[in-house]
Amino acid sequence: MNTSFLLFALLNPLFALLAAPLYMALIRKIKAYAQGRKGPRLFQVYYDLKKLMKKETVYSPTSSWVMRFTPYLNLSTLLVCSLFVPLVFVPEPAGGLGNIIVFLYLLALERFFTALGGLDAGSAFGGMGSSRSMSLAAVIEPTMVISFAALAFVLKSLNLHEMFALTAGKILPISPTLVLVSISLFIILIVETGRLPVDNPATHLELTMINEAMILEQAGKNLALLELAHALKQLLLMGILINTILPVGLSTEIDAGKIAVSALLFLMKAGLLAVIIGLFESSLAKMRLFRLPAFYVMAFFFSAITILIEVFA
Amino acid sequence: MGIFLAFGLIPKSHRLMNALAAGNGMLHLVMSCVALSMLDLPERLGETLYLDHLNLYVELITSLGFTAAAFYARGYTDSLMEAGELDPRNLKTFYLAFNLLLVTATVALFSDNLALFWIFAELTTVCAAMLVAILSARENIDAALKYVFIVSGAMLFAFLGLIFLFTLSEQALGKGTLNWTELAVHASEFSPALLLASFTFMFIGFGAKAGVAPFHTWLPDAYARAPSVSAILSGLMQNLGIYGIIRMYSLLRESNVAPQASSILLAAGVFSIALASFSMFQQRNLKRLIAFSSVEHMGLLLIGIGIGTPLALFWALFYMLVHVLVKETLLFSAGILHRQYRSNMRENMWDVFKLQPRAAWGLILGSIAIVGMPPFPLFPAKFFILLESAAVSPYLTLALLLMLILAAASFANFLLKAFSKVTVEEEKDRHTIRTHVEAGRAELKTAAEKADHDEIRLPNKYVVRSGMRVPAIFMLALAFALGVYFPDSLRDLLDAIILELGYV
Amino acid sequence: MIDPTFLEGIIKILFVFVLISAGLIISTRNLSSVLTAYTIQSFLLAAVSSLLYMIDGKNQLLLLAVLTLASKVILIPYFISRIEQKIKIGRDLHFAYLEPTPSLLLSIGLIILSYTFLSGVFKGLPLSKLFFFGAVIGLSLTLMGMLVVFSRKRVITKALGYLSMENGVLMFGLFVTELPFIIEVLIIIDLIILVILTTIMAVGMDSSIEEYRQKFRKLQIWTGGESQ
Repeated sequence: MNTSFLLFALLNPLFALLAAPLYMALIRKIKAYAQGRKGPRLFQVYYDLKKLMKKETVYSPTSSWVMRFTPYLNLSTLLVCSLFVPLVFVPEPAGGLGNIIVFLYLLALERFFTALGGLDAGSAFGGMGSSRSMSLAAVIEPTMVISFAALAFVLKSLNLHEMFALTAGKILPISPTLVLVSISLFIILIVETGRLPVDNPATHLELTMINEAMILEQAGKNLALLELAHALKQLLLMGILINTILPVGLSTEIDAGKIAVSALLFLMKAGLLAVIIGLFESSLAKMRLFRLPAFYVMAFFFSAITILIEVFA
Repeated sequence: MGIFLAFGLIPKSHRLMNALAAGNGMLHLVMSCVALSMLDLPERLGETLYLDHLNLYVELITSLGFTAAAFYARGYTDSLMEAGELDPRNLKTFYLAFNLLLVTATVALFSDNLALFWIFAELTTVCAAMLVAILSARENIDAALKYVFIVSGAMLFAFLGLIFLFTLSEQALGKGTLNWTELAVHASEFSPALLLASFTFMFIGFGAKAGVAPFHTWLPDAYARAPSVSAILSGLMQNLGIYGIIRMYSLLRESNVAPQASSILLAAGVFSIALASFSMFQQRNLKRLIAFSSVEHMGLLLIGIGIGTPLALFWALFYMLVHVLVKETLLFSAGILHRQYRSNMRENMWDVFKLQPRAAWGLILGSIAIVGMPPFPLFPAKFFILLESAAVSPYLTLALLLMLILAAASFANFLLKAFSKVTVEEEKDRHTIRTHVEAGRAELKTAAEKADHDEIRLPNKYVVRSGMRVPAIFMLALAFALGVYFPDSLRDLLDAIILELGYV
Repeated sequence: MIDPTFLEGIIKILFVFVLISAGLIISTRNLSSVLTAYTIQSFLLAAVSSLLYMIDGKNQLLLLAVLTLASKVILIPYFISRIEQKIKIGRDLHFAYLEPTPSLLLSIGLIILSYTFLSGVFKGLPLSKLFFFGAVIGLSLTLMGMLVVFSRKRVITKALGYLSMENGVLMFGLFVTELPFIIEVLIIIDLIILVILTTIMAVGMDSSIEEYRQKFRKLQIWTGGESQ
C-alpha cells in the first residue's frame, strides 16, 4: 500500500462523511423553493443527526441481532465504498480497492441488510417495504451492471481509480458514449437513492413507501447511522456521475493546493448536480408501483444499446 | 388505358361504368394477345418498360381474370346495393379502384426497373385494399387494413432486398442498376452471400403479396369479408407476387447459392401446403375454405418454382393460368351463394339444389377441378410437379401427396355437409312442418313447438343475373377445355418463357 | 471543416436516440407519445442525413434531409394528429398483445440478430465501422417497426409502426449505398398510402355501420361528387 493511497484512505471517507448530509439538505431546499417555500437550513441534516444520536434507541421485542447490526454494517460498508470513489484526488490504485464489481457487490450487501432489517421488526410496513425494494432492485440490477460495464469499457479498466485517472482534469468527457452512460448513471442515482419518480423520500404515508418503510422501526442512534449511510450512498453515486461527465479539476497528484482546489470544485459540482436532481424531482410525479418495472426496462434498453454501440461501432 | 380511367369518373350509370371496366379488361387482353403473336420479343419500350414472354403471359392471365370479374361485378354490385350493403355513392370509387388495379398491375408487370415494379406493386396493394374495404362494414375495414399492413410491411423488406441488389450491382458493375435485364446478365458476378440475403428479403416481400405462409394471414380475412369481386382481384395480385419470385429465382439460378434459395422456396411451399391443409379441414366458412385453398396452391407453385428444373417451371406456369380460371369459378359460385344466404357459413346453406342449382354445380365442379381431378387441367400440372419433386426427395412427394389428399377431403367434407341440407315438408296435424334434414340426421320438431316458433320458410330464391352466371360457366368451360386439349401455341409460349428465363 | 471524428461521435449518439425512439414506440401506451416518438425519430433521421452530408458532401443527402424534415416531421405528424383528434379524444390507453417489457427485451435480441446477420452478409462489401453500424440500426429499426405492427391492436399504432419501418429502410439505404431518386418516390408513395389510410381510419374504426355512414357524410369524403 503506497502513501498516496494511505492519504486517500484518510482523506476521502472523512470528506465524504462530512459533505454527505449537506447535499441531502440542499436537495430538500431546492424542492422547497420549487414549491414556493423556503425549506430547511443547509445544515439542517447535521443538526438532525446530532439530535438523533442523543435519542433513546428502542427495539421491538421480536427483533433479533439483524436490527441491531444493520445500521453499523450499512455505514461501514459505505465507508469502504467511499474508498472506491475518488472525490478529491485520484490515488494510485492499490490492490482490489477500487474494483467496480466489488463496489456493486458492496452496494448490494448494504441493500440486502437494509431489507433484512426492515423484515426483522415484524411490522407489516417493514415487510412491505422490503419486498418492494427487493423486487425493484432485481430489475434495476441489470441496468446497473451494464452501465458500469459500459463505463469500464470506455475507460478501459475495471478499477475506478484507474478509470478516473484517465478522465481526471479534462473538461469534456473523452468519448461521446460517456454522455450516454451518464444518462444511465443518473437514472441509477435516482433509483438507488429512492427519489422521485421512483419513490418519494418525503412521504409520510407508509403505504407509498419503498425505501423509508424499511427503516421505519429504527430509532435514535441506529436511525442516525442509517440516515448517514443513505446520504453517503447518494454522495458516492453523485461522485461517480460527476467524475464521468465533468471531471474538470480532479487532481491526480498529492499537492495540498491542488487537492484543496479539487475538493472545492467537487463541492461546487455536487451542488450543481444536487440542484439538477432537486429540479428533476420537482418536475415529476411518483410513478405507479407496477409501472416501475417498465421504466426500469426502458433504462435497461437504453444502457444495453449504449454498450452495444460502444462495443460494435 | 388512361382514357378508360378518365371516362370512369364521368358516368353515373352503373351499366356504363361496368361496361367501361369490362372494356378496359378486354383491351388489355387483346393487347397482350396481339403483342404475343406479333411482336418480336423480348422488346423494350423506352427506358423502363420491357416486354417479354413471361410478363405478357402473366398479363394475359390477369386481364382474362379481370374481364370475367368485370362481367360478374355488375350483377353482384347491383344486388349489394339492393341489399343496402354497398352505398351507391361508393360505386364510382369502386370502379375507379377496379380499373386502377388493372392499370397498375400492368405497369408493374411491364416494368424493367425493379424499383418501379416495387412501387406499382404497392399501388396494387392499395387499390385492392380499397376494393376490400368498399363494403361499409367494420370487419371489411379491418380486413383491408390487415391486408395493407402485412403486405406493405413485407414489401418494405423487399425494398431492403432491392437495396442489396443495388449495392451488389454497384460493386460488380461500377454503376448501380435495378433493371431485371441488366441484373440477369451479370448475376453470376455477384457476391453469393449478398445475393442470397437479397433473395431472402425479396422473397419475404413478394411472398406476402402472393399469400405464402407465414405471411398469408391477410388472405382468409380478405377473401371472407370482401365482396367476391374483390376476392378475385386479390387473387390476381397474388400472381404478381409469384411473378416477382420467378424473376428473382431465375436471377439466382446461375450463382452458387441456388441450392439455398431452392430450399427456402421448397420449405415455404411445404409449410404453406401443410398449414393450409390442416386449416381447411376445420373450416365452416366457404370463402375461408377457398382462401386456404389459395394458400395451398401458392405453396405448390413455390415448390414447382423451387425445384428448379425446366419441366417443373413449365407446369408451374401452366398452373398459374388454370388456377386463376378455377378459382374464379369457385368464387363466382360462392358469391352467388353468399347473395342467396347472406352468409358464407356452412350451417346456413339449405336447399342449395332447389335454390341455386347452377351455383351449386359450379361449386362442385370447381372443387373437383381445384383438388386436381382429371380431366381438369390442374391434374397434369400437379402430377408433373409432384413427379419432379420426387427427384428432390421421395419423402417430399409423399408428404405433399398426403396433404393434398387432406385438402381434397376438406372440400368434400364441406360440400357434403353443406349441400345435403334439405328442407323436407311433412304433413303433420294439418300444419305443414318444414324441417331441415342433413345427410343421415333428421331433426323433427313437433307441431306444438312449431306453432309457437317461426316456421322455417323457404327463403326467396335469389335471382341470379345473367352477368353473374356467364363468367362462371365460361371459366369452367375454359378450364375444362385446357384440361382436355393442350394447345400448341400455349406450349410454345411456355417454352419460350423458360428459354428466356435462362433455364436450359 | 468540422472534425469528422467529432461528427462521427455525434452520429453515434444520434443512433442511440433513434433506437430509443423506436423502443418508445414499442413500449409506450399513450397514443400521442407514440406520435411524438415517431416525429423525434424522423427528426433524428434528418439530422443524421445532414451530418453525413457534412462528412461526405453529396447533395443527395441534403435533399433527403430536407425532404424527410418536410414530409415526416411536419406533414405526416400533422395528418396523424388530426386523425387522433377525430377518433375519440381521450383515448389514451393502448391495448397490446405483447407487454412492453418483453418487447423491449426482444428488440435487444433483434438488434443483436441484425448485427450478426449483416456481419455475415457484408463480408464482401467494405464498409467503414460507422456505416456498418448505421446499416445494422436501419435493419433493427425495420424489425422493431414490424414488431410494433404485429403486436399492437390499434390501427394508428400499427400505422406508426409501419412508418417507423420505413424510416429503418431509409436509414439502411442511407448507409449502405447512395440511392438514386427512388427514395423520394418512396416517400411520395407513402404519403399516398397514408392519405388513403387516413380517410379509411378517420371515419371510424370502432363505430357501427350507421355511425360510419353518418361520419362519411359529415366529413364529406368519398361522396362521389355530391358534396356540393
